Amino acid sequence: MSGLLAVVAPILHQLAAQLPAQAPQGKNLVAAQAAIGVGFSIHILIAGLVSGAGELGPAIEFLGYMRQRRRYDRLARALGHFMTLYFSVSSTIAILLITVLLVGFWGHFWSTIATIGWWPFFIEAWTFVLQVSLAYLWYYTWDPLRGFKGLHMAIGGLLAVASFLQVYMIDIIASYMMTPTNPQNPLRLALNPTSYPLTVHRTVGNLAYVGFVFAAFSAFKFLRARDAEDRAYYDWAGSFGILWGVSMTLVQPIVGYSYAKEIQLHTYAAWYKMMFGTLSPVFLWQITLLGLMFIVSLVYFTRRLRTDEATGAGLLSLMTIGMVASTVLAAMPYHLSLTYDSVLAAGLNRPFWDGGLINPLGSMIPWKVLALMGYSLLAIAAVIWYLRGLPGVVWGHARRAEQRLLVVMALLTVMMMVTMGFIRENGRAPFLISGEMTIQGQQNTQTTQPTPQPTSVP
Amino acid sequence: MAPLDRRRLTRRQFALLGTQVAGATVAVLLGIPIIGFLISPLFRRQAVAEATVGDIADVGNRQPKKYVVEFPAGDWSSAKVKAAVYVVKLDDQTKVFSNTCTHMQCPVHWDASLNQFLCPCHGGLYAIDGSNVGGPPPKPLPEYVHRFDGTTLFVENRFTESL
Amino acid sequence: MIRERLATAYNWFDERTAVRSLTRKGLYEAVPVRGAWFYTLGSATLILILLQLVTGIFLTMLYVPSVTEAWASLEYLKQHDAFGSIVRGIHLWSAYVLLFVIGLHMVRTFFSGSYKRPRELNWVTGVGLFVLVLGMAITGAFLPWDQAAYWTAVVVTNIPAYTPFIGSFIRALWRGGDFVGPITLVRTFGIHVWLIPAVLFPLIGAHLALLRKHGEHGSYINYRGAYRAREGVDVPPPPKQRPIEPPYPAVPSEEVWAAPLETEDFYPYQTFKDGLVSALLVVVVFILAVAIGAPLEAIADPSTTNYTPVPEWFYLPLDQLLVLVPQQLIPLILVLPAGGVVLMLLLPFIDRGPERNPFERPAVMVPGAFAVLFVVILTLLGSGRLFNQ
Repeated sequence: MSGLLAVVAPILHQLAAQLPAQAPQGKNLVAAQAAIGVGFSIHILIAGLVSGAGELGPAIEFLGYMRQRRRYDRLARALGHFMTLYFSVSSTIAILLITVLLVGFWGHFWSTIATIGWWPFFIEAWTFVLQVSLAYLWYYTWDPLRGFKGLHMAIGGLLAVASFLQVYMIDIIASYMMTPTNPQNPLRLALNPTSYPLTVHRTVGNLAYVGFVFAAFSAFKFLRARDAEDRAYYDWAGSFGILWGVSMTLVQPIVGYSYAKEIQLHTYAAWYKMMFGTLSPVFLWQITLLGLMFIVSLVYFTRRLRTDEATGAGLLSLMTIGMVASTVLAAMPYHLSLTYDSVLAAGLNRPFWDGGLINPLGSMIPWKVLALMGYSLLAIAAVIWYLRGLPGVVWGHARRAEQRLLVVMALLTVMMMVTMGFIRENGRAPFLISGEMTIQGQQNTQTTQPTPQPTSVP
Repeated sequence: MAPLDRRRLTRRQFALLGTQVAGATVAVLLGIPIIGFLISPLFRRQAVAEATVGDIADVGNRQPKKYVVEFPAGDWSSAKVKAAVYVVKLDDQTKVFSNTCTHMQCPVHWDASLNQFLCPCHGGLYAIDGSNVGGPPPKPLPEYVHRFDGTTLFVENRFTESL
Repeated sequence: MIRERLATAYNWFDERTAVRSLTRKGLYEAVPVRGAWFYTLGSATLILILLQLVTGIFLTMLYVPSVTEAWASLEYLKQHDAFGSIVRGIHLWSAYVLLFVIGLHMVRTFFSGSYKRPRELNWVTGVGLFVLVLGMAITGAFLPWDQAAYWTAVVVTNIPAYTPFIGSFIRALWRGGDFVGPITLVRTFGIHVWLIPAVLFPLIGAHLALLRKHGEHGSYINYRGAYRAREGVDVPPPPKQRPIEPPYPAVPSEEVWAAPLETEDFYPYQTFKDGLVSALLVVVVFILAVAIGAPLEAIADPSTTNYTPVPEWFYLPLDQLLVLVPQQLIPLILVLPAGGVVLMLLLPFIDRGPERNPFERPAVMVPGAFAVLFVVILTLLGSGRLFNQ
C-alpha cells in the first residue's frame, strides 16, 4: 500500500505544482463557495437518487419474488430504468465538479486530499464502472432472465453492494475532512470517528430519499394515468414509496444523534458551532423540518386509509396530533438570539423568567432528545397501523389531495438534504480539513482549532 | 386443595399440612443463612486507609497533575490496589480528584487539548473544577477525603460524596 | 456368535432400561423438509453450549479466581501451555459464535412465527436461555482480570446502580461492597460456573422436551400455497390439504394449514444437516482458537489514565446506548433492555392469530424488524470506537 503511495504521490505533487497557487479571495471566494455549494447540492440530490435506486431496486425485486407480486417487479424495473437514464447525468456532474470547480478553485486542497485519500478515490472510480455495468446488465436482462430469477436477483445484489461501496468510499473522504486521523494508516483513515455514523446516515438517508422521490413521481403519473390498471399501480407505488421512506427516516434520529456525538468528542469547535454558534438556527430548522416530514406522511397515511374507509384512520389522526406536539417541542428555540455566543456576550444566559433569553424547554438535552424519541416511536406506530389498514384499501381510488401530499413530501426531503449538507460543510469552516487546512490560505496550518471554552450548558 | 377445616382435620389434610410445613422449614433454614451470607458484605464497614500522595508544592496553577497511590485491596486480601489522584490548584484552593467517572466509573483523564477531564468510555466531560460540562455523567468528578501536612498531601480511600 | 451375544446383552439391557424404544422415539420423528437448513441453527446452538461446558470444566483445572492469581494463572497458560491456550481459545471463540448463532436462531423463530400455539412455552424457555447465555458471556468476560476484564466488570456492575431506590444495593450485592474488589471476582466466578449453569442446563432440557412434544413448526414456505389468491397476487393453485397427524395438533383454520406439506425422518436426514453445520462451526471455532486465540491484556490497573475501555462486541449496542442517553434520561439504559426482554417474553401472548406468513403479520413484524435494525445500527455505531481509541 505504502509502496503504491510512493509511486503515486510524486506524480500528484507534480500535477499540483501546475495548479493555481492562490485560492479565491474576497468576493471571488464567496462566488466560488456559492458555485461549489450549488454544484454539490445538485450532485448530492441526483447521486443520492442513483445510489439509493441501486440499493432499493434489488431489494424490491427480492420482496416481489418472496411475495409473488407483479407490482413489485414493475416498480423495481422502473428503478432500474431510472438508473440507466440518470447514471450518466450524475457522474457527469460529479466529474465536472472535481475537474473544473475543485481543481480550479482549490487546487492545493484537491492535491492534498487526493494524496491522502488516493485509494478510496481509486476504489470509488472502479465502483462507478462496476455500478454502471451492473445497472445496465440488471435492467436489460430482466426479460431474458425471467426464468432464472435467482441469477437475476444475484446481479441485483451485486449492484446493491457496488452502490453501497461507492457511498462508503466517498464518505471516507468527507468524514476525514470533518474528523481527520492519521492518514498513513489506511484502517484509521477508513474508520475515522465520523465515518461510521456518516455512512449509516447517508445509506439509510439515500434509501429513504429514493422512496419519497418515487412516491412523488408516481403521484404525477397517477394524476395523468388513464386506464384502471395504471391508476392502481401508481396509487400503490406512491403509497409504497412513502411507507418505505418513513420506515427508513425514523431510524435517522438515532444515527444522526450518534453522528453529532462523535463530532462533539472529536471536533468540538464544529459541534459548538452547530449547537450554539452561527449554525444553530439552521440546525433548529433541520430538526423542525424532520417533524414536518413526519407530519405530512402521517396525514397522507390517515387520508389514504380514510378514502377507502379502511380501519385505523382515527388512530392515525391521533398519532398525527402527537407528531405535531413533538414537532412543536423540537422547534422551540433554545434562546431567542442568533447564537449562544451573542446571548452570552449580552449576559442574558438565564431562563426567560429571570429576564434572560434562555428557554429551558428548547434545550437539546433532554427536551429535543425526547422530541426525537417521540418522532421515532410515533412513526413506528404509524407504519404498523398503516400496514394493518392496507388490506382494506382498494388501489386506484386515491384522491388528488393525497397525491399532492406525496409531492410536498419529496420537496421537504430535498430541502432536508440541502440543509444537512449545508450544516455539515459549514460546520468545518474556516477549515477545509478540520484543524489542518483553511479555506482561504489552503495552507497546512499547525495551529490547533480554536476551542471555545465550555460554558455550563443546561 | 380443599379449605382446611380445623374442626374436621382428616388424615389426608394432616399429611398435606405436614409435608408443607416440612418443606417450608427446609426452605427457611437454608434461605436465611444463604441470603445473610450474600448481603453480609453490604453491612461491613470498609476499613479506612490513608496513603501519602507526597509533596504537591510543584503543581502549577490550573495544571492538573496525576499521582498514583496504593491502598489495601480490602476484605481478606493482602494485595494492594493502585488508585489515581489528580491534584488541581485553582488559584486559591486545591482540589483532589479521583479518576473515577460518575457515569459508569470508567477511568477519566486530563485532556490538555480540550482543557477538560475526558472519560473515554462514553464521552463524559468535566471542567477543570470537576463540574459537568458534557456527556452523560450525572454528578461532578468525585473528590477524595484528604488532609494536608504543610504541602504534603494525604488521601483516604473514600470520596467526600458516595457514588 | 459374538453378534448373537451382543444382541442378547442388548436385549437384557433393554428389558431393564427400555433403551430401545427410547432411541426409536428419539430418532424417528417427522420433521418438515422445507426450511430444514434453518433448523440446524438450534442444534448448532446446543453443540456450542456443550462445547462451552466441556472446555469450561477443564479450564477450572488451572484458573484461580482471585484478584492476585487470576491474571497470573492465565498468563502462565499463555506462556507455558500451548494446548491449554487452545482450550481457552475454544472457550472464548465458541462463546462468540454461540452468541451469534443463538441470535440468528431467535430471529428465525420470530420471522417464521414458530412461537404460536401450542409452542408458546418453547419460545418463553428460549428467551430465558438467551438471557442466561448473555449472562454467561458477560460474567465470563470479568474473569481474566486483565484491563479489559476489570473495566468491563466496573461498567457492567455499575449499570444496575441506576435502578430507582435499590440501585446501589443491587450494585453492592454483585460487587460484594461499594467497589469492585476481591469479592466481586469470586462472586462472579460462582455465578459463571455454578449459579447460571444450574438454571441453564435444566432449561435446555425443558426446551428440547417441549420441542419434541409439539414437533417442528415448519417454515412459512410450507404453508404458502394455502393463501387465498388476492388481487394482483401470483400464487400457485393450493395443493390438496394434508391430513393432520401428530405431532401437529394445531387446529386447522380457514386459510392456514396446521401441518407442513412434506416431512421426513429426523434420523438420518435432519441429523445429517445438523451435523454438517455444527461440525463446520466447530472447525471454524478451532481455527480461530489456534490462529487468534484468546487475548490477555496487561493486569488490571484502576489507576490507569491512558487505557480506553472497549466493550466486548456483543455488549456494543448497550454501550452505545450508554453514550447516547443523556444524564437526565439515564433510566432509559435499564428500561430499554428490560422492556425488550419483557416484550420478548410476552410475544406469543400478544401475537395469537393463526397467521404464519411474516408479510401478513405487520403488527409484530414491523416492531420486531425495527428492534433488530436498531440493535444492528447501535452495534455498527459502537464498533467505530474499536478503532478510534
